[in-house]
Order: sequence, then C-alpha cells, then structure tokens
Amino acid sequence: MMTQGSLRIGRFSVLLHRRGIVVAGVLLALVFAIAILAVQLGRYPMALPQILATLSGGGDAIAEMIVLDNRLPRILTAIGAGAAFGFAGAMFQTMLRNPLASPDVIGFSAGASCGALMGMMAFGSTFVLPGALIGGLLTAFAVLALSWHRGIQPYRLILIGIGASLTLSALADLMMSRLDMLTAAEMAKWLVGTLNARNWTDVIMIWIGLLILVPIALWLQFALSRLAMEDDIATGLGVALSPARLAVTVTGVALVALAVSVVGPLPFVAFISGPIARRLVKGARPALLAAATVGALITLLADTAARAMPVVQLPAGVFTAVIGAPVLMWLLVVQFNKGKI
Amino acid sequence: MVEPARLRAEALNVGFNRVPVLRELSFDVPDGKTTVIVGPNACGKSTLLRSLARLERVGAGTVILDGKSIQKQSSKSVAKRLAILPQTPTAPEGLRVKDLVARGRTPHQSPLRQWSVDDARAIEQALHMTGLTDSANRALDTLSGGQRQRAWIAMALAQNTDILLLDEPTTYLDLTHQIELLTLVQKLNQETGRTVAMVLHDINLAARFADQIVALKDGKVRHQGTPDQVVTADIMQDIFDLPCTVIRSPVHDHPLVIPA
Repeated sequence: MMTQGSLRIGRFSVLLHRRGIVVAGVLLALVFAIAILAVQLGRYPMALPQILATLSGGGDAIAEMIVLDNRLPRILTAIGAGAAFGFAGAMFQTMLRNPLASPDVIGFSAGASCGALMGMMAFGSTFVLPGALIGGLLTAFAVLALSWHRGIQPYRLILIGIGASLTLSALADLMMSRLDMLTAAEMAKWLVGTLNARNWTDVIMIWIGLLILVPIALWLQFALSRLAMEDDIATGLGVALSPARLAVTVTGVALVALAVSVVGPLPFVAFISGPIARRLVKGARPALLAAATVGALITLLADTAARAMPVVQLPAGVFTAVIGAPVLMWLLVVQFNKGKI
Repeated sequence: MVEPARLRAEALNVGFNRVPVLRELSFDVPDGKTTVIVGPNACGKSTLLRSLARLERVGAGTVILDGKSIQKQSSKSVAKRLAILPQTPTAPEGLRVKDLVARGRTPHQSPLRQWSVDDARAIEQALHMTGLTDSANRALDTLSGGQRQRAWIAMALAQNTDILLLDEPTTYLDLTHQIELLTLVQKLNQETGRTVAMVLHDINLAARFADQIVALKDGKVRHQGTPDQVVTADIMQDIFDLPCTVIRSPVHDHPLVIPA
C-alpha cells in the first residue's frame, strides 16, 4: 500500500503523506460541522434556516447582532487561535524532541501573555500583539539558553520551562494587582483564556497572521523532520542546525503570540494537539497540519462547551485545562518511564 | 605527482573544557581505501573521526575537504560528499526503515524539491545492498540490533557520498553481526569505490578489514600503515601497553593479535 506520494509541478516536488492529509481533511470536516452546530447554540437558540437568512442579509436586527457580531467572530477566532496553538505546539515538540516541550508547558505562552499585559498597560490595547511577540521571544530564548548544554537537555529544559512559566504567571498577577478591580477582573479572565466578546478585529488579526505564518511553518516542516533526529545526524545530513532552530523558534513564538493576543494563553491546546495528531497520523513525522486541525477542534469544542454552560459564562481555558492537565500528568509518567526526562 | 587526499586533517587541535584531546594531529584519509582508526580508550580516535565530519568544534588547525576548509563550506554541500554515522545513533519513535533511509537524501533535497526519481532509486539501492528491502516498512524500534545498524548504514548509503565515516559501527553487536556488518562495509568499499574511514575497538577485526590502519595515542598519530606494518608485537605494546604475540590468521591472510 502506498503511504506517500509526491506532487510535482515542473522542477518542484512536494512529498505528500496520504494519511496525514486524510486525517487533516476529516478533522477539518469535523471542525466545520461543529462550527455549524455552534452558530445555532447559545442563550438564543437559532435554527439553521434563520441563520442562513441572516447571513444573506435577510434577518432581523437581533438575529443579525447575535450571528454576525457575536457568534460568528467568536467561532472563527476560536478556530484560528486553536490552529495557531496546534501549529506552534507541534513545531516545538518536534524540534525539542519531547512532547512535554510545548510552548504552554515551558513558559513561552506565559511569556507572551505577560508581554501582552505589559504592552497593554503601558501603551494601550494596540500594543498587545507586539508585547506578546517580544515577551514570547524573550522567554523562549531565555529558557532555551538556560537549559542548553551541548545540545538539548530535556530534563533541564522542562524544569526550567515550568519554572519560567510559574515566575511569569506570578509577574502577571503582580501587574494585575495594580489595575482597578473591573479591568483586573476582565484581565484575569483573559489570562485563563477566553473567547468572550470577540469581534471582527480579532478574526481579521488571527487569520491574516495565519495567512503569513502557516506557509512559513509548512516550509519549515522539511527542516523540522530532520531536526527531530539527533544533532550529529542532522548535521551529517547537511542541516545547518542553528539557523533552522532560529527560524522554527521565531515562527513558533509568533504563532503563540498571535493566538495569545486574541484569546489569551488557552492552557494545554498547544500541548495536547501534537501528540493527538501524531497518534492519528501514525509514523514519526511532524504532522503540523493535523496538529493544527486538532488544536482548532479542541478550542472550538471548549468554547462551545463554555457557552453552553447555564448561568455563568466560564472562560474556555477552564475547559481546555480540564482536558489538558490529565494528559500532562499521563505524558510525564510515560516519558519518565522511558527515561526520556 | 601524487594528488593530495580529498579529506585530511592539518595540525588539528581539539579539546574539551581546556583538556586537549587531539594535539597537532595531521592525517590524510586515503581515497578509495578502507581506513581503520584504532587506539586505547580516550586516545581521541572518535574525536578525530567526528572532527573530520565537522561534528566537533576545532580549536586550531583545519580539516580540509576537496582543498577547502570543511568549516567554511556549507553543511549541505559537505553532506553531498561526506556521510557520517555517529556512535549508537537513535531515531524518533516509530520511524520506519524506509523513512530513515529516505532521510539520507536530505542534502539532495530542499523544501521545494522533496522527491525525485534519483531519490527513489538511491533508497531502493541502499535497501538492497544492506539486505533490508523486505523490512522497509518495519518500524526501526522493532528490528534487531544488527538490522538496525544496517538500516543506519543504508541511510548513509542513500546519501550517495564518495566518503563514508563510521564511528564504532559494531558497538553492541554480537560477533556474528560484527562480521556481517564489516563484510558489508568492505563490499561497499570494493564495489562502489567509496572511501571508508571508521573507528574500531577490535584490533583483529581492524587487521582483517582495513587497507590501512592508523594507531592513535595521546591525541596524535603514532603509527600508520598497512595491517602488516602496524599490527606487530612492538607497536601493540607501544599503543595499548599490551604484551602480546602476533601470529598469522590461518583463515584470512592478516596478522592476528594474541594477548599474553
């Protein structure tokens, strides 16, 4: 049975992994189906014909507000942010050769949200994304530099990363204590990761960001599958390690910063997407596309569940944490038993 | 005039944490031959091989590949001419044999040219030469030690380089598989004309499979020559501090060390 094929256009050829594409396709269809369901769900349940009428401009003002200003941007943001987290998670897990080394576990997300918070407090809300980008990059380089010792040291990386994550969370709390009650309460929700009240600005930001970063991530997939081998082997195969790692780190952090600036550091989405995608795709290649669709699916499900809760609107991050934390514990045990950390 | 060797070390100094490992070491890897580097533990033989493959940070001196410093050439361009198999390599979990071998094609590929007819042919050939055609779809972690090591060799073969460097390729293999692997390497050298340089622990295997033996001690080349020239009682005493008798192998025509 053929498991891979190649697509050739003139001098160019790309390897296609059948199973990876099938998995991503099925997941994408699932995302689409849940999105359709999610537009109908909510405090004002709406039937599909009514929604379709609203979309084509024939609905009343309330329906228009609910569908166009509320549910649709929220759903599209959830899908985009989830995909960004999924991409970033799989990239770092592959490059650092450990499923625990995902940006939300080793502090990169915390760094991005701290930076976003600082940017917002100092310069206003337009500085959320630049702040997240700077905060994320500084944290990533600090964590990698501190844990590097003649190559990747998984044990050091994960401990130092978790330490950085805790430190930055404390720093965020400290910053929040200087805000007034109301803003602080909103910020606290954002720091858990929420999709409440997303608007089209968020949708445009995340999707334009993805439009730029996804081609770069897919381009880097070639180098990534070699970085997943040992340093000596990758070098022997002609991969220039440092430039490749730099490119992956910057792109991965940019994806995290992007997602964090629209939905906050949704816990564990980046972390669980990669391993789930890998189990679905099988084999030992970085399944970036599949991981991205898993991330989108999880985020959309978590937000839909959050919206479906009666009375209180919980932030979606509570739900992703409920799914992600047990997976973290399970992977820690598995990795420990294998002697990988 | 004799052409200079394509790969050579010139006055190489390599150290770890200020402890020198190689001292002013100069050494030519003879083209088209099988060279075996031997020496006692910590003599720097592995460091020398790794330095020749640009895997070590060189303090002073240079490694020259095709007339130019290897450090100044792009890693990819080097990888088209020189393949290195490090000691006891490990691969990502679940990687299949043919995926591993396909990785060997990396220097001939790029993100926009990920697959070619040459790639398919080279992979098929490498699998065939190493006798792994039937195991191509198996995951590497399900293979025996001997098969796994052959799969790594196949990866290096698929790289299709003129020079092949192997760092203790027989580690953790039982005697049968050691012989099988070295016979394969010998075949590669003889049938494809590849230059092979490897580090081996077993002096008797070195004597049997090498065209040339390089004996290192204290970070320097102490003796160099054909097995007959290097594997003598005096030199063994000098290199390994080992009193021994050297006889002639009654089966294969090479010197055989019998430790006293």
